[in-house]
Amino acid sequence: MCNKEVLVAYVYDDISDIDRGRFERHLRECAGCRDEVAAMRSVRADLAVWTPSQPDLGFSIVQNRTPSWRAWWTPAFGLAAAAVLVLAAASALAHVEISYGSSGFAIRTGWNQTAALEAKAAASPATPVRANVDEAHRVNVDAAMLADMNRRLRNLEMAARSSPIVQASNTTPRLSDAEILRRMSDLLAQSESRQKQELALRIAQLARDVDLQRVADLSRVQQGFGRIDQMSAAEAAAHRELANYILTSSKQQK
Amino acid sequence: MPSTDEELVARSMGGDLDSFNQLVLRWERPIYALAYRVIGREEDARDVCQETFLRAFRALKGFKGQAKFSSWLYRIALNLCRDWMRRERRTPVSQAPEGVDIVELAGETAPAESIEDLVARREIGRAVARAMAGLPEEQRTAIVLKEYHGLTFQEIADLLDCPLSTVKTRLYQGLTVLRRQLARETVPNDTAGPRARQGYEDV
Repeated sequence: MCNKEVLVAYVYDDISDIDRGRFERHLRECAGCRDEVAAMRSVRADLAVWTPSQPDLGFSIVQNRTPSWRAWWTPAFGLAAAAVLVLAAASALAHVEISYGSSGFAIRTGWNQTAALEAKAAASPATPVRANVDEAHRVNVDAAMLADMNRRLRNLEMAARSSPIVQASNTTPRLSDAEILRRMSDLLAQSESRQKQELALRIAQLARDVDLQRVADLSRVQQGFGRIDQMSAAEAAAHRELANYILTSSKQQK
Repeated sequence: MPSTDEELVARSMGGDLDSFNQLVLRWERPIYALAYRVIGREEDARDVCQETFLRAFRALKGFKGQAKFSSWLYRIALNLCRDWMRRERRTPVSQAPEGVDIVELAGETAPAESIEDLVARREIGRAVARAMAGLPEEQRTAIVLKEYHGLTFQEIADLLDCPLSTVKTRLYQGLTVLRRQLARETVPNDTAGPRARQGYEDV
């Protein structure tokens, strides 16, 4: 009963008790199967020596929750947001109110504050800004400097108002919606073209800077090579000198 | 007490990614070892291992628990190995582990083992890798699953969709070829290995 399937099952001890008992009885009588079992066990011992390499695995599943449209949309949205921010900052700067008094130092910005500021200025045009540093205890600013800043800002605001578009809006307070929309789009177009020009200017400036830097780097590299050449020439000269010296001294010895 | 595979699978099916990653951590070494021994190349075995878990994750909803999770993973990995061999149209190569020197090897073994024995062990490991690479794919796979992963004949039969007797025959044939091959490659003297090489001389 030289059954090879039973033999291999016996070698791996994956065998029913009945079959094991029967095969062990067979082994006592069959030298061929005994040798074969021994050989299989020896092969198994060799197989145990073969170990796989141990690379770093560390796999993990990561779920990407970002929708695909967002990756495309974000830069455009970001640019628009930045543009809106720039516009808002520019318009806010044109209407700045600085007050400094018993309530401390305050800067207020925005279109809504214009009327209040103008009313105050009209009521007491010559009233100097009261500097009460001791009371405020907040910012140590010279009163004259503040007054100067206030004046300059007011001048800036007046200059902005005297531009044709703003003036028009002041002289014709009641405008149709279409007119307002048109003006708004004009303003936006102007702002956009200004930004474009500025961007182009910046890019040109950047390109010029990069170019200059490159030229400077190149000249520095060339200088470096020149130095290395000089050094190697000097070294070669030194070697020649040494060789000559050795030659002459060896001749002298002869 | 660590969660069982079944518990982690259930939680993963409920959308818990951490539970699935615990399964990955638990099974990545055995799956890599399986792929490495079937394919014989470290880099490709890594790819197969990674792809196995990706596929398992995607197909998790289809896992009904009819088999053990590990058997299911083995099946995916073996299919990928088969695809790899078909695609590459080549037999597996025997790639000895790189970057392992005698000093490292000595650290893993009993202090009583001599340096000659260490060298011999390493040589045997290489000879086994070469001999395994020369086997037909079915025989090699059966030996790998039985010898290194301790699956029962029945589990292997289920995994490979073949009768129980076929698995045993493949194992017997594979071991017989290995026996001849190793007898040819190893020198039967005192420096050949830590053990007596009985059984090789009569072939």
